[in-house]
Order: sequence, then C-alpha cells, then structure tokens
Amino acid sequence: MSVSTTERAPLVSARPIRRFSLSDRHYKWILLLPAVLVVVGLTLFPLVFSLAITFTNWDLYSADSASFAGLSQWTRLLGDRGFLTPARNTVVFTAGVVPLEFVLGLMVALALNNATVGRTFFRVFFLVPLMVSPVATSFIMGRTMFDPNVGPIHDLLVRFGLPAVPWLTHPTWAMVTLMLIDSWGGTAFMILLFTAGLQGMPQEPYEAAKVDGASDWQLLRHITLPLLAPVMVAAVLIRALDAFKVVDIIATVTGGGPGDATESLTLKVYNLAVKGGDVAYGAAASYALVAIMIVFATVFLLATRKAVRRATGDD
Amino acid sequence: MAMRRATLGRNILVYAILLGWTVWLAFPLYWLAIAAFKTPLAMTQYATYIPWVDFTPTLAAFQNVFGKAAGLDPRQPFTNSVMISTGAGIVALVIGSMAGYALARFRYQIGRIDNDQISNFFLSQRLFPVAVLAVPFLILYRELSLLDTQIGMIVAEIGFGTPFVAWLMRDFFASLPREIEESALIDGCTRPQVLRHIVFPLGAPGLVAAFILIFIGSWNNYFLALVLTFSDAVTVPLFIQTQAQYVTGITPWANIAVITLVSIVPPVLAGLLLQRYLTHGLTFGAVK
Repeated sequence: MSVSTTERAPLVSARPIRRFSLSDRHYKWILLLPAVLVVVGLTLFPLVFSLAITFTNWDLYSADSASFAGLSQWTRLLGDRGFLTPARNTVVFTAGVVPLEFVLGLMVALALNNATVGRTFFRVFFLVPLMVSPVATSFIMGRTMFDPNVGPIHDLLVRFGLPAVPWLTHPTWAMVTLMLIDSWGGTAFMILLFTAGLQGMPQEPYEAAKVDGASDWQLLRHITLPLLAPVMVAAVLIRALDAFKVVDIIATVTGGGPGDATESLTLKVYNLAVKGGDVAYGAAASYALVAIMIVFATVFLLATRKAVRRATGDD
Repeated sequence: MAMRRATLGRNILVYAILLGWTVWLAFPLYWLAIAAFKTPLAMTQYATYIPWVDFTPTLAAFQNVFGKAAGLDPRQPFTNSVMISTGAGIVALVIGSMAGYALARFRYQIGRIDNDQISNFFLSQRLFPVAVLAVPFLILYRELSLLDTQIGMIVAEIGFGTPFVAWLMRDFFASLPREIEESALIDGCTRPQVLRHIVFPLGAPGLVAAFILIFIGSWNNYFLALVLTFSDAVTVPLFIQTQAQYVTGITPWANIAVITLVSIVPPVLAGLLLQRYLTHGLTFGAVK
C-alpha cells in the first residue's frame, strides 16, 4: 500500500495494469473512514462512556474512588425536586422564544419578499446576528442596554414618563429580558429560512389565483403559508431544540438568577457536574435532557406530518 | 385606483417592518460601538447616545485593553480563539470534505444503511446538546491532561465540526458535474489526481464556505470552553462572559465593549463577504 507512488504516477500510465495502485474500491473507504473515526472517537465513545458513568457514584472532588452504584443516580434524578425549577424555566424559555421568533421572522421575511428598493441590503444585514456570538449579544443587550441604572432602555422609559422595569432583578422580567435577547439572534435564523423558502416557491399558483381575482390576504392565507409549511416545521424544530439547550445567554446575563428563576437545564448540569464535581449525577441529568429532546422532536414531527401533507397537497 | 392604494398601503407596511427590524438590529451594534469609545466613568453615570453631542469619544478603553498597562489582558484569549478556530476548522474541513466527497460519489450499502442515512447521521450531530458530551470530555481530558489546553479544545471542536462539514460538502459535491471526473478517470487519471486537479478547484467555493461556518461556530462557541478551560486556554466568549457577569464593584464596561467589538468583527466580515455561499449550511439544508 503506497499512496505516494500513486500520486506521482504520470497522468496517463504506461502500464494498463498498475499492481500497487489503489482503486476506487479502496478510496471509497479511505475517504470516508477518518470522518467515521472522528465521530466514533469524539462523539459515540464519550456518549457510551457518559452512559456508563451514570451507573457509578463518580465524584471528581471526592477522595473515594468511584464504584458501581446501579440505578441509584437515575432514581435520585426522578425524585429530585431541584430539577423542577430548571425544567420549568427551560420549557418556559423555549415556549416563549420559539413563537416570538417565528412570528417576527415570518413578518420580516414576508416584508423582505415584497420589498423592491434596498432588498439586498436588508437581506444581508438581517444575517448579521447569525455571525455574532450569543455571549457578545448578551453582553451588549443584557449587561449594558438593559442595565437598570445607565442602560438606554431604562433611560428612554424614564424620559417618556413610563415606569421603570426591573429587567434583571425580577424573576418574571428577567426571563422576558432573556427571551428578548435570544430573539435578536434567533429571529435571524427564522428570517433566513423563511426567505429561502419564499424564494423557492412556484409562481403558477399565484398567477392562477390572481386571474381569479384573489386578494393579497387570500394569496397569503391560501397559497404562501401552506406552501411554506415544511419550512415552518423545520424552523420551529431546529430553533426549539436549540432553545432547549440554552446556556450562554443565561450565564452571561443573569447567571441563572435572581435566585434560580432563570436557571436552565444545561446550566444546572454544568453546576452539578463541572462546578460541583458530581459527574455521575450530571451525566444522568444530561441524558435526561437528550431523552426529552428526542421525545419532543419525535412527537413534533409526527404531529406536524399530517398537517404539512394537507397544506402542501402531497397527500 | 383602488389597486394603487392597496399597493401603496402594502409598501408602507413592508417598509415599516423592514426599517423597524433594521433599527432593532442596528441599535445594539451601535450601542456597542459607541460604548467602546466612552470613558469607564461615562459608562457608569447615565446613558449617552451621540458622540461629540452628549459625550466626548476617547480611545482610553482601547489603550486600556491593548496598551501595556492592561487591567484585563485579552491577548491570550484572542490567541487561543484564533488557534482553536483555525486549527479545528482546517482539520474538520479536510476530514469532513473527504467524507462528503465519498458520500457524493460512491455508493454505500452496509446492511440497511445507505448514503442518505450516513449523511443524516452526520447532520444529527449538529443538533445534539453539548451538555451530554461535556461531562465525559471533562473526565477524559482530566485523565489525559488535556484540560485547559489549546490542543484539547481543537480536538473537541473537530468532533463537532467534522460531521457537519461531511454533511454540508456531500450536498455541495453532489451539485458538481460528475462527467468531468469520469472522463478524467477513463483517460487514466487516478482518484487522487482527480481530487487534486478537478474536485479541489471546482469545490473551492464550497470548501471556503464550510471553513467559514466551522470557524464562526467554533469562534462563538461558549459552553465547550466553559467546561474544558479555565485559565490558559480560555477563549474570547468565555473571557467576555467571565468579565461581564454580574459582580458587585466596578465592572470595566468600556474595556469589555472594546473586546466584544473586536471579537465580532472577524466573523461578521467573513459572514457578510461569503453570505451567498452560507445559506445552505446555516439553514441545515431545510431549504433546498
């Protein structure tokens, strides 16, 4: 097996049969294998390892060596009321940001699709949040703009004679603030998806409907939105799974506070496993997170499949 | 006439939405930009909006951050982020696009698993919660002395980047014409020659786009750095977060604003320059 000789071979080989050359039968595997090894080594192996840890009592900062602990981490997890608040926070956050970003994204994408002047500028500018890290967004908005003393939002509210809002210090408002910050970046993703979906739409149904005298609203309601249904499903699913594992925004803006009012499941796993060193329990909790996400994705896809088929007329 | 009125009304609505969204996007960026030119004191007194009108811009924060008497030194985090994102980007690009090419040109059938399933499997890695990998990585890295090292972060980022590149580049290579490669093979070219002289030049735009996506993803990644680094290998997002998190006392807002501003320039520039090539990757293929 000598790859280098093959590479140096002249463009047209003198001998029709090259005894040491590699054929496509080999390259097929040589090209694919490294990526498979990366996934096996850096994803699948850690996953199995992590699952194995959940059956031990491994603690990073404990002097005792780890031993087999059966299902004790799992039973502990099921009875742990400490997870109720982070779970509730995560669900509230997801249930808040996804519809918010969905509606905003759809509005902006439809506007963009109907724009004539400056369309390219808007389309490109609206992509910017996708390049900005959530931590940067969180710093700008959460730590400076929503600052209760010197932030411009507080300042403008006061100037217009409106009551001050405890953006970061009140449990409910802190969650609202986090949602607004997330929607800055998350909506960009929705806009991108919907815009791409709108651009790829067939023109025939519109022309036919216009001949029949359909109004703008009827076109939107009966043609555009149904045709966009598959993209909507994908957008909601991807954003929901993303929102469910939220951590960077929360860590930067509230640190989970006030109290534990904005602590998310991922932040909880971090606090348990990395800060607290209770890796066995943290691993079990992270697996619970995955399980919830898989169940959600499956139920969501099954629930929307019929609706999408009906909307697009694929049935 | 009624038609004209309807169009006018629609245009007003369209541009109201577009301009409103532009302001909502632009204001935080503007606020960051001016914050970087305020004095530390100006950031703690009251809100000011327009340079030379209600505050005097100064380079003090830039001098604080990049000057010699640095209170908080961002040079190490920036070096780390550049090394990690570039290193992981290159390795993930090479390994991932090899697999992507193979999936686009060869047929695989292992039991019931075919090309589509391998490709979807690669894509599914992207939506996985990092938290579930963070715990085993933490333990393994502790044993291997890879915690808080650049190389450790590069390896971890390769794990996230490679499958994504493989999925992305499969679609890209599949869109390139197969015939040129086939005629070259018939003429006696070897597969490596085809890769080097045909696939690589034709695939360059896709390869650049894939690299940029991986670079941005890793540049902006926070959670992995949070778990796997704590001092020597801290990346820019983690650095910003630890500086900016709520602490009592005086937070050097203007200095953090400078660091944040500098940190968002490379990905935004790269993203804007190549935006036409990024859509497919950014939408996870949800739109053809």
